[in-house]
Amino acid sequence: MRTRNAGKELLVKDEAVKMLVADGFQDFSMNRLAKACGISVATLYIYYKDKDDLIKKIGVDIGIKYFSETLKDFSPGMSFKEGLRKQWENRARFAMECTEEVACYEVIRHSPHGDHILKESLKGFQAAMHGFFQNAIKKKELAPVSLEVFWSVAYGPLYTLLRFHSEGKSIGGAPFKLSKKAMDEAFRLVIKALAK
Amino acid sequence: MVTTANNILVFKTNIQTKFDQILIEDLLNSVDAIDKWNIDQHDIDCVLRIISDTLTPDQIISIINHLGFECSELE
Repeated sequence: MRTRNAGKELLVKDEAVKMLVADGFQDFSMNRLAKACGISVATLYIYYKDKDDLIKKIGVDIGIKYFSETLKDFSPGMSFKEGLRKQWENRARFAMECTEEVACYEVIRHSPHGDHILKESLKGFQAAMHGFFQNAIKKKELAPVSLEVFWSVAYGPLYTLLRFHSEGKSIGGAPFKLSKKAMDEAFRLVIKALAK
Repeated sequence: MVTTANNILVFKTNIQTKFDQILIEDLLNSVDAIDKWNIDQHDIDCVLRIISDTLTPDQIISIINHLGFECSELE
């Protein structure tokens, strides 16, 4: 008799994340995943309805983890500078510590399941981030700009630095490792640009 | 109904096309003992997955064979 085993389920998730990152969405198959996990295909189908079900569940899991990490020690009522600083710290920590999951999330987000995953995992997170943005304008800590302009100025520099860091090189291929000094410097400039 | 490993049955089939699926879906939908079912036609084994508290693998195989398709328990 087949039984559901929490340890095995975790192994399946880990292997699926690795496989999606290495081979992408199109080449991913339940058969190959079962082989990589050393379990039977039948066991895999106990946990998941089909390939789409598995990919959606993994994507939503990562999304929820990412958004809950991003909201750690953060509240929409924080002062603009303090709140944005916390956002930078949380987002950078997740990107640097969970590189495989971040890469997998990107693969799934650009698959046909991207919209479903965003919709399921963004619940609550969007409200908190939108509240923070609105509060900052209301308290006159932030110059009134559109949400898109705010986002690109507030987080664009951070994500560019994180990309350099994950690639290990910056412009022209120069070696790069993100330091606290570089992050502080970029953050100061962002505050200077956005704060009223 | 609670889904446990014990009431999920999985089979290898040759139900390959959308048309094949149409042929089986009326019957599977009409069997009260089948709580849920789906078929993964992206998979090489066209895996049929059935959730049922009462049916045995042999009964499912016989239903699918009766419709003219191959069906065997996936190991």
